[in-house]
Amino acid sequence: MSEVYSMIDFVNELFTMKLRILFLVLLTALLSSCAPTRVVAPLEKGVIQVGTTLGRPRVNDGSLPLVGIYVAKGLSDVKTFYVGAQLTSLYLGTIQLDGGLVKTVITPNGMIPGVSWSYGVNSFVSSRDGAFRLYPETGVTAYWKFGPHILNATANTWVDPTWYLSDFNKGRILSPSFGAGYRFRYKWIELQAEYKLLNPTREMYIPQASIPSTQGLGGKGWYWGAALNF
Amino acid sequence: MMKNILILASLLLLTSCLDISAVMLYGGPGEYNFTNASLDSIDHVDESKIHRLQTFSDQDTIEILYVGDYSQIESDTIILYLHGNVPSMDGYWTTVAHIANIGEQHRYGVMMYDYRGYGKSTGTSTDETSLASDYESVVSWLQDQGLDRDRLIVFANSIGSLTAGPAAAGGSLIPIEKLIMETPQSSSAIIMQNSTGLSLPSSMLTNFEFDLSVDMSNYPGELLWMHGVLDATAPFNDAASAMRSHEGSYFEEAIYPSAGHALRWEIGNEEWDRVLLNFILK
Repeated sequence: MSEVYSMIDFVNELFTMKLRILFLVLLTALLSSCAPTRVVAPLEKGVIQVGTTLGRPRVNDGSLPLVGIYVAKGLSDVKTFYVGAQLTSLYLGTIQLDGGLVKTVITPNGMIPGVSWSYGVNSFVSSRDGAFRLYPETGVTAYWKFGPHILNATANTWVDPTWYLSDFNKGRILSPSFGAGYRFRYKWIELQAEYKLLNPTREMYIPQASIPSTQGLGGKGWYWGAALNF
Repeated sequence: MMKNILILASLLLLTSCLDISAVMLYGGPGEYNFTNASLDSIDHVDESKIHRLQTFSDQDTIEILYVGDYSQIESDTIILYLHGNVPSMDGYWTTVAHIANIGEQHRYGVMMYDYRGYGKSTGTSTDETSLASDYESVVSWLQDQGLDRDRLIVFANSIGSLTAGPAAAGGSLIPIEKLIMETPQSSSAIIMQNSTGLSLPSSMLTNFEFDLSVDMSNYPGELLWMHGVLDATAPFNDAASAMRSHEGSYFEEAIYPSAGHALRWEIGNEEWDRVLLNFILK
């Protein structure tokens, strides 16, 4: 009997809370890498891309909906500028904006991948007390371009210059992510899908939930996007 | 143009800004079937000693469970149990009944209550203010019945630490001299940082701020901390940093390398009882 009730208590603690899903959405809404890699292959000069993204990092048996929007513009054929905003964070009272540049380092040639380098910043401002955080990021993407089809493999890291503000000395300077994806870019439309490993250098915790991880580290999930080109 | 759209979208969304604490502390329904039928025989209580009562916290009704004789309150030790984050007291009935029989049957009176929004307590728990108000209404009732500081033991499980911490640090109508923290959550900031991997403050999501390190450094009384190293709900290292901030009159920790958050079930009643009873009788 005691075993039965111990299990009931335990299950109560972990799974029967009404808050479960919403709580998880809220807590992980600010996970680094909230969206697919903004731009993997620079746009043509003068092209403006307006897109929306849906991050789906996994928690328990489900995934979370992290919604964002962005605008990118081809400054030249090898350099693209982007800015974005996370709408889920806004809903929670945090203005989370990002912006940066993507540059072609090596132009793709058949099976030889192109390489792009990105760098930018992510800013967070709390609407409650004005708390501010700024996280620079940089990344490298290898991409293969076959007509409208683009395959990419990306390594990216956020830099936490205020790591020392974390409680109990748990801050880390780098928060890396790794992704691989596919994009369909044809005339005025671009569709994006990317699978990402998030922060696979540290254990992630959400109270009363489990984050599917890579050997106990970080999180992961599918990230989606759709954009229009003008 | 796009800049204006972004600004407008931001403003619209911010007007409906959600505070996570209202969700984090969201309770659920409670049946309150507090009988021996749901207990292991070793935990059976004298059902005539099971009492339900209510107090008022601001405009809300707080549902209380007391196991013991009312007369004990003015003459004997009372354990006030602050339960973890389950929908209602139902989830901790077996634990409270077990505590009621620790040492010997009905050795101590044991009280537990539902925070507002949990079980049949009305209203919604929102932040540290509502939790403190609920706690004060219960302790005020105990004080009216004759309980004084040297006979009160506060026992907090998991998220019960959010109430127990500030209370121990001077926020209790009856000053706490003996405190038990079992698998406590440690700070609102660390919850945020553990789930994002970034140095984000909790104010990015909530007005609710709690920091058990500060509370424990301001708590002068006796403290027993029990925790499993494998706890993934209230990470051990975070709790350790907070609990070891305590500089009061006595500190004892019971650490279990192979246990997780469901501590009693994982270490067994015998060990759990032994540690508790030693501390209570100390």
